[in-house]
Amino acid sequence: MMDKYSLPRKIAIYFCIALFLTFMLLPFVEMFIASLRPLTHLFHRPELEVGETMDFMDFISRFWSDKMSFQAYSDMWVTVPQLGRYIFNSVFLATAVTIMSMIFVIPAAYAYARFSFRGKSVSLTLFLAVNMFSGAVLLIPLYKLLRAYGMLNTYWAMIIPGVAFLIPMGIWLLKSFLEKIPYELEEASFVDGASRLYTLRRVILPLAVPGLVVVGVAIFIGAYAQQFLFAITFNQERDYMPLPQGIFEFIGYQRVLWNEMMAASLVGILPVLLIFLFLQKHLIAGLTQGAVKE
Amino acid sequence: MKHIKKALFLALIGAGFMAPVQAAEVHAIICGGEIRAADQVVFDAFEAKYPGVTVNAEAVPWGTCQDKSMTLAAAGDPVGLAYIGSRTLKQLGRSGLIIPVDISDEMQALYQPGVLATVSDGGQFWGYPHAFSTKALFINCGLVEAAGEACVAPRTWTGLYNMAKAVNDNTSAAGIGLAAKDFDNTMHQFLNYLYSNGGTVSDAATGEVTFNSPETVETLEFIGKLAGVAQEGPSGYERSQLTQLYNDGQIGMYINGPWGAGQHNANIAEIVVPVPAGPSGESGTLLITDSMAVFKGSADEGLAMELAQMMTSGAAQYDLDSSWGLTPILQYEKMMDDVYYSTDYWQTFVDPIGRGGPEPMFEDFKALQMGINSAIQGIILGEGSAADLVAEAAETLAEGL
Amino acid sequence: MFKPKTKAQTTTLFAWALIAPAAIYMFLIVVWPLVETFRLSFTNSNIGTLMEGHDYIGWDNYEKALGGRKFPAIVNRTFYWMFLSVGLKMILGLIGASLLASNIRARGVIRALVMPPWIVPIAIGCFGWLWLYNGHFGLLSNFAEMIGITDGPFSFLAYKKSAFYSAVVTDVWIGTPMVTLFFLAAMQGVPRDLYEAAYVDGASRWYRFRRITMPQIMPTVITMALLSAIWTFNSFEIIWILTEGGPRGATTTLIIDTYKTAIFSYKFGAGATRAVLVVLLLGVFSIIYLTVLGRVSKKFGYAGVAK
Repeated sequence: MMDKYSLPRKIAIYFCIALFLTFMLLPFVEMFIASLRPLTHLFHRPELEVGETMDFMDFISRFWSDKMSFQAYSDMWVTVPQLGRYIFNSVFLATAVTIMSMIFVIPAAYAYARFSFRGKSVSLTLFLAVNMFSGAVLLIPLYKLLRAYGMLNTYWAMIIPGVAFLIPMGIWLLKSFLEKIPYELEEASFVDGASRLYTLRRVILPLAVPGLVVVGVAIFIGAYAQQFLFAITFNQERDYMPLPQGIFEFIGYQRVLWNEMMAASLVGILPVLLIFLFLQKHLIAGLTQGAVKE
Repeated sequence: MKHIKKALFLALIGAGFMAPVQAAEVHAIICGGEIRAADQVVFDAFEAKYPGVTVNAEAVPWGTCQDKSMTLAAAGDPVGLAYIGSRTLKQLGRSGLIIPVDISDEMQALYQPGVLATVSDGGQFWGYPHAFSTKALFINCGLVEAAGEACVAPRTWTGLYNMAKAVNDNTSAAGIGLAAKDFDNTMHQFLNYLYSNGGTVSDAATGEVTFNSPETVETLEFIGKLAGVAQEGPSGYERSQLTQLYNDGQIGMYINGPWGAGQHNANIAEIVVPVPAGPSGESGTLLITDSMAVFKGSADEGLAMELAQMMTSGAAQYDLDSSWGLTPILQYEKMMDDVYYSTDYWQTFVDPIGRGGPEPMFEDFKALQMGINSAIQGIILGEGSAADLVAEAAETLAEGL
Repeated sequence: MFKPKTKAQTTTLFAWALIAPAAIYMFLIVVWPLVETFRLSFTNSNIGTLMEGHDYIGWDNYEKALGGRKFPAIVNRTFYWMFLSVGLKMILGLIGASLLASNIRARGVIRALVMPPWIVPIAIGCFGWLWLYNGHFGLLSNFAEMIGITDGPFSFLAYKKSAFYSAVVTDVWIGTPMVTLFFLAAMQGVPRDLYEAAYVDGASRWYRFRRITMPQIMPTVITMALLSAIWTFNSFEIIWILTEGGPRGATTTLIIDTYKTAIFSYKFGAGATRAVLVVLLLGVFSIIYLTVLGRVSKKFGYAGVAK
């Protein structure tokens, strides 16, 4: 009964959701429409007389014209020949960062979740303190560092800093999930004579899967989103550029090909959106199970 | 294959080996998506002249090419030569990242007046001028006549303002396109007006900032006045966006370079006229160049310099100027008979060269840009008197000289 | 090899063995740059002297930065930006989570539709907003014209106030999905019997929300708020792509100023100074935040706040 809504309330809820969704999706809708219009129509205002303002028909005319087509979607591959590569790079980089991060995060999170030991809270605070810096702050020394290791203009140039800034968040998130797993299970395993490592591998990890999924996804999205800054500073090699950096190639000597840029952006994010769609049920389930408390 | 070669080459240098001349590579950064055919001809000829030397020409997109060459140089891995905006030459030179270039007396005489001023500092030349532009005023006759005015060149600022006001009041378009976004072409637009009003930014001989002058204040005030008949929200627009507005008939006129004709809609009836003269000066224009700079510490500076020389002279340079639609950088009429700029259209851009002023050479060129743009935005957003804004800008500039 | 004497020592060793890879990685990649940034802040390093040849100039950079005319304004602006944006994100996140937690059809689909701003690379989202904010051709300006709010095009990013608030809107847009998601998960973790007991007692929805939901998810809200504050304080890409700090510095926050000095103007030493100041300010803020929090939670007895 508690979950039954009166009709006015129902309408209100749906209305609010519509508003919310409009806000969230407006840029994408507009990007899609922009990608369908030829450049001349994009930069065209409806004809108005002096002193007149736009009316409804004029407004609608900016959405629809008989010149709309998917032309931009085929042209963009020609304008920026390596577009496919850029899309691949974005996904590849995010995946690489995620895998590498998880390798560092899982053992550390387990240690923080299970044991109390000397230097625990200090080190944990230090890890969290790293979250306070954004990459933008450390760009110059990072540049020198990567150059010293000879890693500029390679995939590593974007993976290495990416991992560094995601490890703290990963440890902290995974720690709170692992804390929820009852210690009795481990105790039982020790009683049976298993070593710590074995316990970690065979007992804990399977139970931690929802948490791992959540943390993995969060890291992936974090990596995918933050590629841009590291890419433009540390990598000038076109072969390794991720999508946001490659998009800049639509900005030419004298003009910007907006419609193709929008089309390329939308197509570029499609793979990740699809992956997310598949995983989102697990994501919510994992989050709820481990309801992040601290 | 190219990248493996480059990596190997850099490794050798890093290990301190001196590669024998026969196996040298000259690394060049060219701006744009691809290497021009005319440049490729030069590279092939160069490789033919020096057997064993290869030209590694890299085409880098416009947004990032300058950053790439400067970053590489700063990090200690400079390329041999690169296409770069001349405004950066003073800083690069003073920082010891590029080497002065030799320009023979004959070549010096061939350059258009004022061009060499854009690459000079401390009595030396720091780059081979490679691309040149001047500006003029494009006017949409359709709009001007619809506003009831005759479509003729306004000779003074008063005439300019009146024409813009007529278009603004009598048509649904704005009178003039004004750029005020924090971009380099905002500063360029301002300098066109300043140089048409007898103003200067700095004195190359004494190294002083002369920006704070009555002429400058006058110019800034005029910009503020123009904002009243310009498109809405000038601070959000830079020149390429003004081109979009112009093409859609939203502005009556704006200042642009010779490439403008190629960018404009065919169905716009337009005239191109010199920048009108202000009360304190005569019609001038802004001279901007991009250069080929030769970096210090690359594998073979001598080879790089020679390659830069070859790229920026003769047929290769002519081809660039004519195909990109640029103001001619050399006085080609001394070299050949039929030049591409003999039409009236082109004369509007070539004529004012002698009366034009160069883009000022500042070590901190970002400070120059930010200082001037801040003043422009200030007058448009109504945040102070022109005199105060100019004084403030002059301070910023003085720190950057 | 030293042999551990007690169980506690074995545990400590083992724990550190597990943490070591992460710690070493962080040390190599983050700590050294931090130290280097700190060191550079005392030099006059610029483009010619990036690798070597820069001089130490003591506290000069700091004096210049702190004494600069515009510095207090930039700091104020940064904190205002942070409070406003985070506040809006929290409110919208709560609203969104409540909406999604309610019993409506197609919940899963709607949930998925809320996520894109978070998943999509920030740069691409910002390009979308750039286009929306365009004065003559953008959707928002045209819409405002049509319904009569303005009688001509309006360039959102051309004026100081509107540019600032436009940037805030975009920042909120990017941050809200993640906050919504975490709040939603927290809400779904609240035991149902609490609600049912209250319902049976005749409590209204608002009462149930105020007295049950809020306290229960408060730990999540608090942590999210702090994280969001830190990220927002450092939010760089959004402002840079939209306005590059203009017009006339209206959207220049500390991080923008740092980037402009260090990378844009090639003044690495002065830029490093600003970077150090950013970290200091953020650190002080976090300490204040957590202290106030400690006191507040003691007073109101929120569970699970202590680390």
